[in-house]
Amino acid sequence: MERMTEEQVKTIANMLRKRSLWMIHYCTGCGAMELPPTMTSRYDMERFGLAPYVTSRQADILLITGYLNVKTLRRVITVYEQMLDPKYVIGFGSCALNGGVYWDSYAVIKQLDRYIPADLYIAGCMPRPEAIISAFRHLMELIDSGKADGYKRYKRNLAYYKENQRKVLG
Amino acid sequence: MMGVVDKIKELDGAKITIQRENRIFVDVDKDRVIGTLYSLKLMGFHQLSVQNVVDRIKDGKFEIFYVLYSHEYKINVIVRTWVDRDNPVIETADKIYPSAHTWEREISEMFGIKVEGNEDCGKPFILENWKDIPPMRKDFDSVKYSSEHFVFRHSEGENE
Repeated sequence: MERMTEEQVKTIANMLRKRSLWMIHYCTGCGAMELPPTMTSRYDMERFGLAPYVTSRQADILLITGYLNVKTLRRVITVYEQMLDPKYVIGFGSCALNGGVYWDSYAVIKQLDRYIPADLYIAGCMPRPEAIISAFRHLMELIDSGKADGYKRYKRNLAYYKENQRKVLG
Repeated sequence: MMGVVDKIKELDGAKITIQRENRIFVDVDKDRVIGTLYSLKLMGFHQLSVQNVVDRIKDGKFEIFYVLYSHEYKINVIVRTWVDRDNPVIETADKIYPSAHTWEREISEMFGIKVEGNEDCGKPFILENWKDIPPMRKDFDSVKYSSEHFVFRHSEGENE
């Protein structure tokens, strides 16, 4: 039998990967409020193979739900670095995107992707469970086509991310 | 039989304002706060709901208030006092109300008020690596601090 090429292995791995995504249950802001209906029977995200999980080591998705202040950012970075490859980050809500209503706060960082690489953003305040499901579906497409490469970018541009993190966290 | 409101009215050196049936303001000097709190606790006000600060920047004062509640009388008593903004020092109330210990740590960090007798004040509590003036003071410019420390996102087509 002919050996599979590396490209083919990747394709199959991505295809399988996207159907079993575990999301770490680390709720940073008010956006976590929208997750219970998404997880439970009303919207039922498990039909897409998505499940909430409690530890960072076993999780694939880190969902940044809402605003991220300096104190939480330190923990989020720890959690992100604990996660194993491949890992994906979704910025959830307008606060993770550009600060949202906390744009002038002394504690809230404005752009998530300066500190950890975000694969996807969901805009809105708050995004409805439909929007979350839609984002997960979109993330699956990105994984399938190999475009969700945030963890690779983090390794490649580690100096850039570390410098930004150091500026804020000291 | 003397009612609790009459007892409150007899507190030494206090200016009493009865705003509502169940909301009474007791304004006292800085030196009398601890004594007043102690008297009120003996009257049955066992719960310290909130201790916090209002920055009265126009008067150059910090207003420190203690919201007490009595489950027996269903009355809120608010003890208020004022200290100078330039040298804000208060005395700790954690011997009377243990929960004041944590409130005082918060106000000493957020307003830069020195609390005598509370050894945990001055230790980092909520903020991490804070080097500016305390953030809840009115003369703290939040927008300036935010734009210096964090980078804003500018959307495409925006004039910048």
